[in-house]
Amino acid sequence: MAMELSDANLQTLTEYLKKTLDPDPAIRRPAEKFLESVEGNQNYPLLLLTLLEKSQDNVIKVCASVTFKNYIKRNWRIVEDEPNKICEADRVAIKANIVHLMLSSPEQIQKQLSDAISIIGREDFPQKWPDLLTEMVNRFQSGDFHVINGVLRTAHSLFKRYRHEFKSNELWTEIKLVLDAFALPLTNLFKATIELCSTHSNDASALRILFSSLILISKLFYSLNFQDLPEFFEDNMETWMNNFHTLLTLDNKLLQTDDEEEAGLLELLKSQICDNAALYAQKYDEEFQRYLPRFVTAIWNLLVTTGQEVKYDLLVSNAIQFLASVCERPHYKNLFEDQNTLTSICEKVIVPNMEFRAADEEAFEDNSEEYIRRDLEGSDIDTRRRAACDLVRGLCKFFEGPVTGIFSGYVNSMLQEYAKNPSVNWKHKDAAIYLVTSLASKAQTQKHGITQANELVNLTEFFVSHILPDLKSANVNEFPVLKADGIKYIMIFRNQVPKEHLLVSIPLLINHLQAESIVVHTYAAHALERLFTMRGPNNATLFTAAEIAPFVEILLTNLFKALTLPGSSENEYIMKAIMRSFSLLQEAIIPYIPTLITQLTQKLLAVSKNPSKPHFNHYMFEAICLSIRITCKANPAAVVNFEEALFLVFTEILQNDVQEFIPYVFQVMSLLLETHKNDIPSSYMALFPHLLQPVLWERTGNIPALVRLLQAFLERGSNTIASAAADKIPGLLGVFQKLIASKANDHQGFYLLNSIIEHMPPESVDQYRKQIFILLFQRLQSSRTTKFLKSFLVFINLYCIKYGALALQEIFDGIQPKMFGMVLEKIIIPEIQKVSGYVEKKICAVGITKLLTECPPMMDTEYTKLWTPLLQSLIGLFELPEDDTIPDEEHFIDIEDTPGYQTAFSQLAFAGKKEHDPVGQMVNNPKVHLAQSLHKLSTACPGRVPSMVSTSLNAEALQYLQGYLQEASVTLL
Amino acid sequence: MLTGAPEGRLRKFKYRGKDTAVRRQQRIAVSLELRKAKKDEQALKRRNITPLFPDPASEQQTKAVAINLTLQEIINGVNASDPDLCFQATQAARKMLSRERNPPLKLIIEAGLIPRLVEFLKSSLHPCLQFEAAWALTNIASGTSEQTRAVVEGGAIQPLVELLSSPHMTVCEQAVWALGNIAGDGPEFRDIVISSNVIPQLRALISSTTPITFLRNITWTLSNLCRNKNPYPCERAVKQMLPVLSRLLQHQDSEVLSDACWALSYLTDGCNDRIGQVVDIGVLPRLVELMTSSELNVLTPSLRTVGNVVTGTDHQTQVAIDAGMLSVLPQLLMHPKASIQKEAAWALSNVAAGPCQHIQQLIACGMLPPLVALLKNGEFKVQKEAVWTVANFTTGGTVDQLIQLVRSGVLEPLVNLLTIQDPKIVLIILDIISFILQAADVLSEKENLCLLIEELGGLDRIEALQLHENRQVARTALNIIENHFCEEEENGVTLPALDQDPEFLKRLAKKD
Repeated sequence: MAMELSDANLQTLTEYLKKTLDPDPAIRRPAEKFLESVEGNQNYPLLLLTLLEKSQDNVIKVCASVTFKNYIKRNWRIVEDEPNKICEADRVAIKANIVHLMLSSPEQIQKQLSDAISIIGREDFPQKWPDLLTEMVNRFQSGDFHVINGVLRTAHSLFKRYRHEFKSNELWTEIKLVLDAFALPLTNLFKATIELCSTHSNDASALRILFSSLILISKLFYSLNFQDLPEFFEDNMETWMNNFHTLLTLDNKLLQTDDEEEAGLLELLKSQICDNAALYAQKYDEEFQRYLPRFVTAIWNLLVTTGQEVKYDLLVSNAIQFLASVCERPHYKNLFEDQNTLTSICEKVIVPNMEFRAADEEAFEDNSEEYIRRDLEGSDIDTRRRAACDLVRGLCKFFEGPVTGIFSGYVNSMLQEYAKNPSVNWKHKDAAIYLVTSLASKAQTQKHGITQANELVNLTEFFVSHILPDLKSANVNEFPVLKADGIKYIMIFRNQVPKEHLLVSIPLLINHLQAESIVVHTYAAHALERLFTMRGPNNATLFTAAEIAPFVEILLTNLFKALTLPGSSENEYIMKAIMRSFSLLQEAIIPYIPTLITQLTQKLLAVSKNPSKPHFNHYMFEAICLSIRITCKANPAAVVNFEEALFLVFTEILQNDVQEFIPYVFQVMSLLLETHKNDIPSSYMALFPHLLQPVLWERTGNIPALVRLLQAFLERGSNTIASAAADKIPGLLGVFQKLIASKANDHQGFYLLNSIIEHMPPESVDQYRKQIFILLFQRLQSSRTTKFLKSFLVFINLYCIKYGALALQEIFDGIQPKMFGMVLEKIIIPEIQKVSGYVEKKICAVGITKLLTECPPMMDTEYTKLWTPLLQSLIGLFELPEDDTIPDEEHFIDIEDTPGYQTAFSQLAFAGKKEHDPVGQMVNNPKVHLAQSLHKLSTACPGRVPSMVSTSLNAEALQYLQGYLQEASVTLL
Repeated sequence: MLTGAPEGRLRKFKYRGKDTAVRRQQRIAVSLELRKAKKDEQALKRRNITPLFPDPASEQQTKAVAINLTLQEIINGVNASDPDLCFQATQAARKMLSRERNPPLKLIIEAGLIPRLVEFLKSSLHPCLQFEAAWALTNIASGTSEQTRAVVEGGAIQPLVELLSSPHMTVCEQAVWALGNIAGDGPEFRDIVISSNVIPQLRALISSTTPITFLRNITWTLSNLCRNKNPYPCERAVKQMLPVLSRLLQHQDSEVLSDACWALSYLTDGCNDRIGQVVDIGVLPRLVELMTSSELNVLTPSLRTVGNVVTGTDHQTQVAIDAGMLSVLPQLLMHPKASIQKEAAWALSNVAAGPCQHIQQLIACGMLPPLVALLKNGEFKVQKEAVWTVANFTTGGTVDQLIQLVRSGVLEPLVNLLTIQDPKIVLIILDIISFILQAADVLSEKENLCLLIEELGGLDRIEALQLHENRQVARTALNIIENHFCEEEENGVTLPALDQDPEFLKRLAKKD
């Protein structure tokens, strides 16, 4: 359907766009829905483009550009087997106009269109958009740097993927094409821009634009040089590197900014140049060698002259990283080895950048989440401190002795400074601890397993004399930074500090859970969590529940209290520590469960209003599961109490469709349901029909949890379902049908089907059986994947076990004559080796044994010729390594690649169920079982089995078989 | 040039032990190169250049006859009927084409001189004219493909081949050279030259009295007849050339040796059947000997050839090992030139792709310490090959061999390389780490190994890689973290301990 490019339509569209900006969801949502409903129409994108170009209302222009970009993002890609969502004429028209439109638009719109171009480019460039490059390059001539920057920005978004994609013919063909068309004009533009910079060196606004260009050009240089050193750039290295070098040393007052936080253009450009130099030094050493010393000097000078302000952080860390990567290369060792050089690096580059700055202090207090993430989780890759640490490690490669010597002097003098006047000089101690931490972890790597000190410092001694005193101080709120340092020290060296010292620190850590500082109480929780996971000998936890027992009450109280401290109401570290404490303490927490579960449900209720911290939520559900498990292990009847406490909240979550929580709720319910020993409670049965609603199954994230829950229903309530909810069986099979149609979810479909086969009374599914098999065959024909095949093999063998070998043969041959033989010959015999998993293999072994020994047609029809091959393949299943080959075309089947991928399933470890072995009671040792079954068969028809075995089984298999017979102490008659 | 096709190589990760045929990394002719062509490769075509300062004696000799002519004078002269004029003009043209800088190849072709030059090749009464014409054509053929094509389409091949039996050795030598340039252009012309029955004639020119410069030319031309794939030279031609090359390989002259080795390197750069033909003539011991040559131009192609051979079957690799390649490789891994290190590491990576017996020999020959040294300090391109070697080693080695690998200190440099700006290599290292962890898991040694990796700073890096923009890298990193570095949330059930191997633990801990 096409929409006309009429004024009326433009008007309507404007109205709806306006409504999408309305704060009232009652107005906004319908408008959004409407737009989505018409976006499939021809000309829709062109209407948007017209609006963003011609609308009188600037807000509408921007809104149209954003809507356009999102439309492109959702629809441009043509997904195999799915309809093309944008008609060809619109595609052509968009590509013909968008570059021009982008370049002539104001910046806000330009950015949106530039993004759209790169999305389109990702799909269409270069083959389906051949003139894009020429069109862009031609604009370089325009002399208008607004236009040029637009082009450069677009080029950057198109080319930056060269930085992270794997080499492939396709990729390199594209890069070659880009190089041919782009490298020379870019180089000329680079030179021209630099010249313009000197002619305009007194014109601040011109300089700003020109420097923006230089930044983009330098970024493009990085992308184009990433995969390999292109011939063009090797030939023009002189030009690029000389200019880069000049730019590194350049300063211009006009470009300096007053802002302390935000990096200015000069800083951005220089840090990109550092990256470029580092790339060359790392990858194209041979060619870059002669430029390198100059860059080392320039970057060095840069570091010495650059201030402590935050705006220089990226530049400084990139610059230090460059030095760090160079100094550990043997042939550049000489650039650093002079003692004065080393001292000066330590003094002027490393120490200043390890200092705790005003900005760090601010972050510590006001932006603690960010501070913690940087400091604790190693997402400090771009920080000065991290870079300085890396430089220390790099230097230690060749100069460990001198470097350690220089730094131990520093550590001592800083500690002395601190001792003189702690309240003024506490930052010195912080720096000392930081130095020890960074240097000691280096020594650790060299002396693996040695818990003693390195040359710099004795770790345990340092702990006792400098860390413990801070933590023992009565005031948990004094010198919070030093407290955090101390707690972090415990975490880092927990494997080196002896257990008795750690044990001493546990009550101290529990005490610090009360600290006001978010960083301090978070670190305390995290440290406890880490300590509780440590392993001692025999793989048991290092700390036993008994050792922690004296602190249980205060530990649990402080942990939950910490969740009420300002800023920590959804603190994932605290919640994880709660979970870990439960897991370590086990029965010891039972007396506290009533209060704990109340607090947890309240928390759950509160966060379900607006779930925002996925980790916090995950650990909270884990903690709930642990409470249930631990309590019900001792007293299964207590499950009712949990249901009372939880179901109200669960109902609310389900009713309000809190998507993030639904998979969790289903898992907890599975756990609760499985805890019931008797028949399924009616409260669950009331829920059953709702679980079959298609809408729940639309969300990929729900599927595993829902299947798990349905399995629990089938396991506990199959008779109730058969008697009281037989009308729901088609719905159940509908779910199965939907799941097996998908390559990503077919295994889930089989889980469900296997539970149905295993638990449902046979007569209740009788009428559907044939249809089930037909569906499976259809899928096998339309897309036969290894994963499907493996599940299919397990299923038919389970069916054989449950309903008998004859029933299996009959159902196949009932679909089509001789089909059973075909399945044996084309699927079971050749593919059985692919089955993986202990229980799965066992099911197949028992099923095949049945086919061999309890299926009369196998003995006296045309199927008889398959008897020995089937036996042979069964012995193969027992003895040969698993066949884990996957055909080439299946490589890229991936759950995450399926369209419509939504929230990943978050599996709760503590809601986990034990692996279920449906043949566990029946068969213990499948090999012996085979021997016994063969023996039984041979007594029924004496003489036949030995002859079938000895005439066509291969010698090796025969030998194995004799082994089984011996083990079972039977013979074949 | 050494271009790994990582996709093909990586395959072997996934199909470990499945198909030994695809386990080895062939040198794949990638038409796609972003880089400059390598300087240490053999020249495709060569121009015969007149020295800038020719020795005065010969200068005087020729001064009398050939003054510098303009292009128009040359055209007139060449088209004249007087053989002397023709000679003068041809010589003047040849001189132009032989000058060091900017030889006017294009102008001469556009002037339409080729047909006449080809005609002069046939004037057996005037060997000097034949010589000058052959030289001029040699230099034209040394140009671009288009220029070579002009020579071929001018009908030069047949008369040049006939000149191979000229009684005048200089004429004959120049014809060899010209044919070499034509054949060097690519498979199409190479096969035309071959089908002109040139090989037996070249073979006949080789004797113990052949002057060394002439012999060098013949060898070079032969090497061009072996060169290029898609398609390869026909089987028959190869069979004719192999004994000759084998003989040339016994020579002492380094240029002859170099080109003979290059020829063999081309012939081995292909499927196992092709490799087999070379292996069967028994040249491997000599090639391995040449790998110890101090001449780079001999070392490079002999190493290349042996490297190619070990991309072949296990048997072919075994022959190379038996010839002693593994005892030469350690010193080459430590060679001052990075390109040699890289080539040696590449050869090693293919030995490591073999059965565990080969891996055992590799260990026995002391290959692990230099391998680790390369991973630590090599140039990036060398490190890359070394990483491949470790990858192959890990997938094919026995548990015991893996222990030796870990003990040799391979993890530290691997972990450091996780910051390299090359997603493919990062992915392979992640796969290696994951593989070693799995093996350690079987030995119940995972925790120690995890600790080691964490202490090396590996955990930090792997965690950071979870945010890598390349999804495969990010996912692999995530899997490692999830499978190996997440605390097991044991459900109150302790898993039965697998067979403990306390030895492994001690050996790991003792890492020096």
